[in-house]
Formats: sequence, structure tokens, C-alpha cells
Amino acid sequence: MLVAEGLEKRFGAVRALSGFSLTVRPGEVVGLVGENGAGKTTFARAVAGLITLDAGAVRVSGVDVTRAPRDARAALGWAPQELALYPTITARENLRAFGGLNGLSTRQSIQRTAELAAALELTNVLDRPVGKLSGGQQRRVQAATAMVHRPAVLLLDEPTVGADPITRQAVLSAVRSMADEGCAVVYTTHYLPELEVLGASIAVVKGGRVIARGSRTDLLASVPGRALLRYAGTPPPLEPHVSGARTIQIDGSDVTITATDPAACVATLLASHADDVNRLRAIELSPPTLDDLYRQLLQPAGHSDVA
Amino acid sequence: MSPDPSARYRIAALVRHETILLARAPGPLIGYTVMPVLLMTVLRPMLERLAALGSTTGMGGTAQAAAGMAVMFSLFALKVVGAGFLQERTWHTWDRLRASPARASEILIGKAVPMLIVLLVHQAIIIGFAMAVFGLRPAATWWPLVLVAVAWTGCVLILGTAAATLVQSPAQLSVAGDIAAVLTSILGGALVPAELLPGWLRAVGPLSPGYWAMRSYRAALVDSGASSLIGALAGLGCFIVLGIVLSASFARRRPDA
Repeated sequence: MLVAEGLEKRFGAVRALSGFSLTVRPGEVVGLVGENGAGKTTFARAVAGLITLDAGAVRVSGVDVTRAPRDARAALGWAPQELALYPTITARENLRAFGGLNGLSTRQSIQRTAELAAALELTNVLDRPVGKLSGGQQRRVQAATAMVHRPAVLLLDEPTVGADPITRQAVLSAVRSMADEGCAVVYTTHYLPELEVLGASIAVVKGGRVIARGSRTDLLASVPGRALLRYAGTPPPLEPHVSGARTIQIDGSDVTITATDPAACVATLLASHADDVNRLRAIELSPPTLDDLYRQLLQPAGHSDVA
Repeated sequence: MSPDPSARYRIAALVRHETILLARAPGPLIGYTVMPVLLMTVLRPMLERLAALGSTTGMGGTAQAAAGMAVMFSLFALKVVGAGFLQERTWHTWDRLRASPARASEILIGKAVPMLIVLLVHQAIIIGFAMAVFGLRPAATWWPLVLVAVAWTGCVLILGTAAATLVQSPAQLSVAGDIAAVLTSILGGALVPAELLPGWLRAVGPLSPGYWAMRSYRAALVDSGASSLIGALAGLGCFIVLGIVLSASFARRRPDA
């Protein structure tokens, strides 16, 4: 379990963490999303014990990172955002080094390396120097080095950035497996569909703190979806306030409605304009997505998608 | 406090890992071993002649050539030590080491032990070559020679660590390492016998760790008295302490340390 409470960190005039709090339970995957500079990487480095916090506390598996850093680190698997591997030695040797560093015996390292190589589709490249692997393969090796000792808490900072679809899928499967084994996972990403694949709950970070936290369903409940109605000719004259609609925009023969429940809104609208239904050529429903949530939460103050 | 048994495994893993890293990039060390052997072979007759003419009053030509090359090229090998630490930063792996359960002391031991062994072997090959080919022998017994090699290697290791914490890039390390190695060798009398240096250079010689390394080798190879050996080793000890202080100081100032 990972618990971060009231983390504060300043770098000169910059307030990188400002009351950052987050709890991740065993078996849970939390997707940490936010703009660059929001504080995600600073949070990751605080959990890894690489920066001294101005205030607040991080506990990894119940162990305070500041008071017992080595015990906390023993329960943590961390893969930083940038590639951090030894390029002159092989993938197998990298895995063995990180395994040994985290207390695995030679036999355990060998066994775990084989498991992870199979899971991450690295078996054929294990004995090649990491520097000669493709970017995607290097990313997978990096993820494997964070998972090699079966940590109780796994912290992956944009593990699939710039990765190909095969790498993305392999990493996501391996992360899901770790969570299924009871690992608490923090997964930082800008690729929101990955979080849907992982079945992750979401923490949105802005200004050094978590501004929204919950399951995908909970968070999307407040986000409007869209409906597009395409008519033959001019759309019927619509009331300015259709029940449930946040905005209605007419552009030529198209009517675009944003609403928390766009389907219900369309049903209401069609019922009140039954005479025009025969002129309706298409209806496209777009339920709210994580991208919509992301935009809604992270857009600059004073700017709104909702007209 | 009872010793942590897992620390032994971590150190063993780190030593093994560092050894593999060194083995994968042997080029510089091979160069720094072959070059002194060649130079020693070429310079020895000249140094023997200078000694016969009475131009030098210290070591004989063979001892001067062997000790001088051992000292000078272990100073060049200092760059390999520094690179071992610097690469961890350029590869971004230093943070991953720091984020592991290993203590800072375990990481340093894990990195230092293979390097210490490599540098000792480096010294042994150069001195061993002079013994096997040119008949060099210690002044009295073998142990002072071993002691000097260990002390000088330790000094190089510490100074290399300090250099790695000071410089910011491999290019800086290369330039600074080359200049420092040549300067230290000159001041120490490793490149040219100290007696032949200009007076002002001889005066500042003791400020160079190379000076104390050459004095140590001289004590082990030429003088049989314990006092000269102890005095020279004490000089090296001062540089080891200085290196530790500088490493700790530089490391504290680095934001990524």
C-alpha cells in the first residue's frame, strides 16, 4: 500500500508539490495524469526517497520513506521517466543487477528474469546489450527491472512514452499482472486510453496536488459527452434550453449537443420535434472519455468547454 | 546494531555488476597497461645512463622507469575510476542505485572493490614486467612493495571518485584527467627523475600525490629503511584523506548526489 499525505516541496520559487495526497491500495492501479510540470515526477522521486520533502509523509507498505528509507525502498519498484539502464551490458545482466540490488539470489533472479522476459516479449533479446536494443525493447527492459523483485508498490513514470503498440500492450499486461498479484501500482501517463486498458482509477494532478481522484465511472459522471444530429436541410428551430443539455450548437445542417447524458438529451429533443425525425440523416453519440475529463480538469482557469 | 545479512548479498551483486561493466569496456585499461610497458622499455636505457653518469641520485634506471610508468599510468587510469561514477549519472542509473535498498556505503564498496583489484593488477603487471624482463627486485622484502601498490591504488581510487563528483561530463573528465595526470607525474618525478626538474618545480613536488607515490616506490625498491617507507606512505595517506574530504564535499553540493 502506498500512502502520501500532504506532501510539500519547493525548488526555489517553484512549488513542485503543494499538499499532494494519494493512497493506493494493494491490487489497485492508479493512473496519475496531469500536464508536464504538474508534480507527477516530483511525487515519484519523493516516493523513491530521492528528494527531501519540506512537509508531509510517504509510507510504502506502512514504512515511512523518511524514517526508514531502506526498508521503504525494499518494497518499491521504480522505473523513472527517462531511460535508466546500463547500455553496455545485456538485458539479462541488467535484470540480474537490479534483482541482486534488491536482494534476489542468483536462482531467484534467473527464474524471475525468465518470467518477465516471457511476459514482456524479451526472451529473444535477453543476451543482447541494452544499448543495441530498439527503443521499445529498452522500455520493456526498464519496466522489467522495476518489477524484478516483485515489489509491494510499483511506480512507473511514463513507461510507454514513445513506445510502439507491441511494447505498450506488453507493458500494460505485465502491469495488470503485478496488480492482480496484489501490487499497488502508480502509473504515470499522458496516454489516457492505457488507463482504461489497465482498469485503473485516476488521480488528476495539477499545481502539485491531486485535484480529482476516483474511478473512471465516478469521474466521468461529471463530464459532458456529445451528440451530433445531422438533418437533411435546415435543422428544426430548437429551444434554447433542452432539458439536460449544457450547450447546443447549430452549424449548417448539424446540431451538436453537449450533455452529461447525451443519449437522454437526444431522446428528449426528438420527442419534442417528432415532425422532423424523417429529415434526420444521422445521429452520432460520443459518451465522455478520459480525454474529455483531462481537458475539463486541466484547462486554464477562466476557460471552459461548456458554452 | 547487528550487521544486515542482506547487505552482503547486495554488495556481492554490486561487485559482480561493476566487474561486468569493467569487462565490457576494457579498452582504456588495456591501453594504460600496454603503453607504460612500451615506454618503460624505451626509456629504461636512457634512465640507466643518466643514473650511471650520476645525474640522478635516487633510483636506478630500471626502478625509475618501472615506478615512474606505474605511477603515471595509474594516474591516467584515474579517469577510468571517474568514468565509472560519471557514467552512472549520464546513464541515469545513479538515481536507481540510490532508490534501491543499498546504503551509500554499500554502493561505494560495490563500485570500488572491482576497480581496486583492476588497478592493483595494473600496477602488478607494470612492476612485474620490469621484474621479469629487466630483473627489478625489491630493496629488502616483498611486502613493502605490496603495501605501496595498495596505498597508491587506494589513493588513485579516492582521487578518481573526487574527480567524478567535481566534473559534469565525460569530456570534462577526459581533459581534466589528462592534464592532472601529466602534471602530477611531472611534479612527482614519474615522467622525468625529480633531480632533473627545475628547482621551482622540485619545490612544489610534495604538493603532488605522485611525489609521495614515487617516494614510496623508491623506499620499497631502493631504500630498505622503514622510516622512509612510513614517511612516504604517510604522505599518500594525507592525499587519501584529502580525497575523501573533497569527494564528500563535492557530492553534498551536487543536487543529484
